[in-house]
Amino acid sequence: MTQRAFVGMGMLVFAVALVSLAIVYVAGGTPSGGKGLRTPWGAPDLQGIWSQQTDTPFERPAQYGQREFLTEAELAARNTELGARPAHSTYRDTRKQRGTEQDVAGAYNAVFQADRPNKSGRRTSQIVDPPDGRIPALTSDAKSRQAAMKTYLDDLLQGSSGGRPGAPLADKSATHPPIYNLERMNRADGPEDRAGGERCFGAVMPAMGALQRIVQSPDSVEIFYDIGQGGGFSRVIPITGMPHLPSSVRQFYGDARGRWEGDTLVVDVTNFTNRSEFRGSRENLHLVERYTRSDAGTLAYQVTVEDPTTWTRPWTAIVELNREDGKANLVFEQTCHEGNYGLLGMLANTRAAEKLFKAGQGPDPNRMDLATGGGGDN
Amino acid sequence: MRSRLIVSVLVALGVIAVALSVWSVTTAGQIARPERTADGHPNLSGIWQVTSTANWDLLAHGMRPMVGQPGVYADVQVLAAPVVALGEAGIVPPGPGVVEGNAIPYKPDAAAKKKENAEHWLDRDPELRCYKPGIPRAMYMPQPFQITHGTDKIQMLFQYAQASRTIHMDQVNPPPADTWMGHSVGHWEGDTLVVNSDNFNDRTWLSRAGDFHSDAMKLVERFTPITADALRYEVTVEDANVFTRPWTMKMVLYRLLEDNAQLMDFKCVELVEETFLGHLRKNQLVKRWDGDTMTVDITRKIPPVDKLYER
Repeated sequence: MTQRAFVGMGMLVFAVALVSLAIVYVAGGTPSGGKGLRTPWGAPDLQGIWSQQTDTPFERPAQYGQREFLTEAELAARNTELGARPAHSTYRDTRKQRGTEQDVAGAYNAVFQADRPNKSGRRTSQIVDPPDGRIPALTSDAKSRQAAMKTYLDDLLQGSSGGRPGAPLADKSATHPPIYNLERMNRADGPEDRAGGERCFGAVMPAMGALQRIVQSPDSVEIFYDIGQGGGFSRVIPITGMPHLPSSVRQFYGDARGRWEGDTLVVDVTNFTNRSEFRGSRENLHLVERYTRSDAGTLAYQVTVEDPTTWTRPWTAIVELNREDGKANLVFEQTCHEGNYGLLGMLANTRAAEKLFKAGQGPDPNRMDLATGGGGDN
Repeated sequence: MRSRLIVSVLVALGVIAVALSVWSVTTAGQIARPERTADGHPNLSGIWQVTSTANWDLLAHGMRPMVGQPGVYADVQVLAAPVVALGEAGIVPPGPGVVEGNAIPYKPDAAAKKKENAEHWLDRDPELRCYKPGIPRAMYMPQPFQITHGTDKIQMLFQYAQASRTIHMDQVNPPPADTWMGHSVGHWEGDTLVVNSDNFNDRTWLSRAGDFHSDAMKLVERFTPITADALRYEVTVEDANVFTRPWTMKMVLYRLLEDNAQLMDFKCVELVEETFLGHLRKNQLVKRWDGDTMTVDITRKIPPVDKLYER
């Protein structure tokens, strides 16, 4: 090989390399990026502690119509409104009628309430599709499922302090709910009568704006969600191209498979169980999640929710997660079950009340309300 | 001569640039796991599990009934309720032990408590209630765990009870209260990941044999690759309330190499309700209670093959 040819080849290799680097740079698209927003192995860096620090309604208030973002004036007005709002919802300060189950439950739950954000997000709603920002209509199947469950739960309240007091008592004998119960029920015959949250499996996917820690490697992402009175959970997203679990295996947090589409981590989640519920959807829930690092302080989380047995069409929501101070390290392990004296107490108290009533020493436990106290109902 | 040098530099730069670009392209898609991370440390990412019987007993042990009772010979135990119906599945598998010197240096009163714990295993072991396993026990539960080796955190998710831990490779504030899974801070010594953990509560155990610790426990763990698919795992336990001196366990973590290996749901809280809350049911399902005593009726229908007299 002549020296000239050798030089030429060297130049060619270098030129090809430069071009290919440039292609990668353009395809990879680091416009908002820059160093620090990519991992050392070149993927967008999703790592850190994230939470939703702004207040955005889940569904769009009718006044905004099909508009996705607030105007500057609307944003300013909302910020003023939120700034004046107490950091916690009303039942920390306002008491229910003393001597009622609702008053006791409210006091208990208020202790665990996190402060609410006092800043507005720019979006008019978290739901961005359908264009009206509202959850699509339920299918007739879902409507009848929910109606049957509501009737069942209402019947159990009959004649109690929580529903139509004085009405004839419901027959609380061992009738099964129409679907696996995850609600607060006015019965405590056994753990299955209590709500999913009370049994420490109330945290569900998608955990929208939850406080979360993300750790990432080239072939997996692990997320720890610190939510719901210690009822949080962890999940791992393999990024390996492996197929989903057989459909016979059902999981509380589904079966996640990740892949990169450009700078977005796309996660397909299937195989949910009938013992977890997201807004009426259970084992047929299918999620497509998209994680995009928008800038140094923001991680956009977009989720498309699909269940043809529940909604008439798929729908999509976006939450902009804000980066928390990593050194402060303010996430705490999930240990709901380990300290769950509440579930034991609810069952034990109900058995004790039945015993006392039988001995003529206490009120009729069937007239008590074990369902509507203190929850998210105010 | 000078142009030859320039050519060499150009070729070298070119090769590096091509390599870099190819590497970036592949990392943007699905890639095979490299043996080292981008910063040159052993890549611990993957799904791992011990094959030892350490969770049953940290010390050398032969087979024995999970729950035993004196048989015809007082010193030869037979299976007792509640495992008598399980047959072979009710036997603790043997193991040569994982403790250096095959002795745990309990203080005298702690040794008595360990013995008592073992005798009341069914009532006391937090594992049976599906509580968080704590460290080090999580590392040798007979279920897989996944390591995601991030840039400044190494995250471990354990299949058992959805437990997880974060090993901080950077500076962070400690937790505001004691924890089940501890507060772990790591650093590299050559190819060994060294992890110091504290901030434990006293609620977790070290094995099903009643081994325990106090909230003064501090751990030093060492993870060293033996091959790409095996890690030597050593943990030194220090707890002056319970032990007379620090002591060390050694075992091997193996990588799960199956194509379909993954963590699956083991959200055992739902399935232990019957064991720990069943006595509070209005209508008992499968047990009888007499005061504080639970009676488990074990029904085993003798299958024809066992009825030799009928042949």
